[in-house]
Amino acid sequence: MTDILPFLIIGLTTGSIYGLAAMGLVLTYKTSGIFNFAHGAIAALAAYAFYDLHAMRGLPWPLALLLAAGVLPALLAVLLERMARRLADATVTMKIVATVGLQLAITGALLAHYGAAGLPFPDFLPVATVTVVGLHLGLDQLISAGIAAAAAVAFFLFFRLSRLGVRMRAVVGDPDLLELAGTSAVAIRSWSWLIGSWFAAVSGILLAPQIGLDALLLTLLVVQAYGAAAIGLFSSLPLTYAGGLVIGVLTALATSLVAGSEALAGLPPALPFLVLFLVLLVAGRRLVEVGSHRPAPPSAPLLRPRASRVLAVAALAVAATVPLFAGARLPVYANALVFLLIFASLHLLVRVSGQVSLAHAGLVAVGAAAFSHLAVGTGLPWLLAVLLAGAVAVPVGAAVAVPAIRLSGLFLALGTFGFGLLLERVMYRSEFMFGTTGTLPAPRPEALSSDTAFYYVLLAFAACGMVLIALITRSRLGRLLRAMADSPTTLSTLGLGINVTRVTVFCLSAFIAGVAGALYASTGQSATGAPFTAYASLTWLAVLVLFSPARSAAPVLAALLVTVVPAYGAGDAAVDWMPVVFGLGAMLVALHQSAADRAAPGNAATGNTGRARERIGAASAAQERLHRTANRAAVAAAPTGDRLRITAGDGEGTER
Amino acid sequence: MTAMTAQAPPSEDAGLQITDLTIAFGGNTAVDGVSLTAPRHRITGLIGPNGAGKTTTFNACSGLLRPGRGSVHLFGRDVTARGPASRARLGLGRTFQRMELFDSLTVERNVALGLEARLAGSHPLKQLLSPRPDRTAVRAATEESLELCGLGGRRHDPAGALPTGQRRLVDLARVLTGGFDLLLLDEPSSGLDTSETRRFGAIVANVVAERGCGVLLVEHDMSLVMSICEHLYVLDFGRLVFEGSPEGVRGSEAVRAAYLGSEAA
Repeated sequence: MTDILPFLIIGLTTGSIYGLAAMGLVLTYKTSGIFNFAHGAIAALAAYAFYDLHAMRGLPWPLALLLAAGVLPALLAVLLERMARRLADATVTMKIVATVGLQLAITGALLAHYGAAGLPFPDFLPVATVTVVGLHLGLDQLISAGIAAAAAVAFFLFFRLSRLGVRMRAVVGDPDLLELAGTSAVAIRSWSWLIGSWFAAVSGILLAPQIGLDALLLTLLVVQAYGAAAIGLFSSLPLTYAGGLVIGVLTALATSLVAGSEALAGLPPALPFLVLFLVLLVAGRRLVEVGSHRPAPPSAPLLRPRASRVLAVAALAVAATVPLFAGARLPVYANALVFLLIFASLHLLVRVSGQVSLAHAGLVAVGAAAFSHLAVGTGLPWLLAVLLAGAVAVPVGAAVAVPAIRLSGLFLALGTFGFGLLLERVMYRSEFMFGTTGTLPAPRPEALSSDTAFYYVLLAFAACGMVLIALITRSRLGRLLRAMADSPTTLSTLGLGINVTRVTVFCLSAFIAGVAGALYASTGQSATGAPFTAYASLTWLAVLVLFSPARSAAPVLAALLVTVVPAYGAGDAAVDWMPVVFGLGAMLVALHQSAADRAAPGNAATGNTGRARERIGAASAAQERLHRTANRAAVAAAPTGDRLRITAGDGEGTER
Repeated sequence: MTAMTAQAPPSEDAGLQITDLTIAFGGNTAVDGVSLTAPRHRITGLIGPNGAGKTTTFNACSGLLRPGRGSVHLFGRDVTARGPASRARLGLGRTFQRMELFDSLTVERNVALGLEARLAGSHPLKQLLSPRPDRTAVRAATEESLELCGLGGRRHDPAGALPTGQRRLVDLARVLTGGFDLLLLDEPSSGLDTSETRRFGAIVANVVAERGCGVLLVEHDMSLVMSICEHLYVLDFGRLVFEGSPEGVRGSEAVRAAYLGSEAA
């Protein structure tokens, strides 16, 4: 017991902070229907702001704290509230991409400005050690946990006792009530974003002394709050706080259990994602999404089929001449072809079938690792190894699709994000993938190993991949997928096994991603998981959406942007700031797209919002009850349309 | 309360049979011990005030809801444990009160999917590729439905841009393309004007006469119900309060009470 006790206490202190962050996340999600992927980035931003003001500019720490944890989050809250309002009934993808874009922009800016290396965070709390029942505890840690707990308690009191809090609670309990609350809707949302952002900022400043000032780590650490939010089923605030404690304790205990084991070292930090993934899988259909999304609006093709075919052939011709002018930059163009395949496979999922996957980088990494094992380990011929590497990614893609069967929209995105992080943290360094060194050898085909020859090999693969995707899009599956993006329920009542459809498209996409992974490894002649982090999955999605106005040419432009553009960039600084541009661009496209959709005549005429809400199976049991009771009361109390109608019917009957 | 006729044992000819269906949401029983039959060659009506449990019954018939108690038989087979897709492949089609069209697709694509989804079924390869005979069948069925519902001129319009009356027709045409033996039509007249409703009724009556399929119709518009249904069930507060001919409904005190509230009876 005494062995476990220290870990238990460490777990509770960090868990308390996770719980606070998670409560802010759930509060904003429940009141606005927007799940804030930038929540962690707000935490990181606040921590850096505090560092900048206090340690670099020498402001006294209480003033720095006030500005970093009080004023700055309030400004962000205003932005987020406006953003959420504009996104109210956008498509799922746009809702996700808007905040993912903000997250990329904030984190990218921090990395570009302060550098990727961790900075020492100033100890602004007393660091003395106190001894409690034989345990040595850092005073700062105890104070941090105490602050988080006090904030949670204060929030619960506010939630129970104040007028605004009570109204907020009603909305969290049943988001539809927000509409009934009338004029206070904006007030409730604004306050929720304010409180949510404060909680994120405070948790960032409290976590920074423990893990150091590292933008990526802080962004992803507050992502631990996702796990806590999942334990609260994205709904109950007290359970969410408890979930934070559970995650903290589990992580600390796991750390003590796997200490010394190289292979399992990745498990403790990945634990929150395991929890997230499992809860989403188990809770499945019990999770009810907040708010409504419209299905993707009809988008007319930019070009006639013939014109786009001519354009595709022209693009192929230009690509074929690249070795003539690229010179030393030829490997950059080779990478662009690989990324074209990656983006095309993501496009198949996100644009064609309307399913958001945030585990895509994981699939590419699986392909890369499998290729090395097959080509070097087993000694298979090059081409066979590439195709089999794609095949190996298929079962993994099917595993990613398991959440797709039970979840949709936001929860699918979160489930796949959890899966991708698990894969990255636990599997990348295992012997099954890249091993403890993180790098494996990867050959090129012997006869075509020169840069120029191999470029043409890649071009052939890219062309085949694009043709394959065009064929899939035009096949029966393509038609079914487009229909499924609009209304899966209807398709199933027409006789289609939609779960099979979902898994099939994930498998096809995984195959192409796996082949792309193999080709990436072959291009660089070494297989590594380093570029294929879960963070990369977020970036790819944002970049793809950034170019979504270009329809099916989006993968081409996205691939050029992430590979060729940086190579011609003005300097390192410009390249560092590129993620910020991606992020902000994706955010603006998402906001603009949802505004444009709202203006589309078809949507306004048919009232998609109402339709989506009343969509079969979407109404919760509580809503159903509410409607029934209201209807009954109406029937009993006053003449309704029904009553008038039946009398009219009777009248007609007697006349005849 | 009218005495209920005893339920016949499940059989092939009986079409859709539900027996002792009970569905509760939380503590609230939405449908309570309802039994009804919708055979082939007949338009059966299911009416009742708002909140009587009509749509809930419908959702249980098509497999979107699992009943707490009771069973659903389709052409003599127990389908209570089957999902919506499997029931559809056995011959049960439905429309939606809210016209769940594929808004981003054209009218023609919407209508074609009525059969294509059924042919694709749950087989990955069949979902990926459509063999030539399938394509021919889909094209023929689509043309027939478009013709029947008078949508030929709208075939290239996106479904999302149509007015309600046309959307109802697309929903109907889509389910007709599927060649289902039994159709569940959920409030098809809501949002339609009198002439549109009459036209809708005529199409449905025509299809039943020509194809010999069965229809179970949930409807508010009593003139439509009275003109095309041969047999009616009336639900109130989740219970069946009347079963019989349209003429019988007119004279029924129980039905009057259900619609006007018991104090008015």
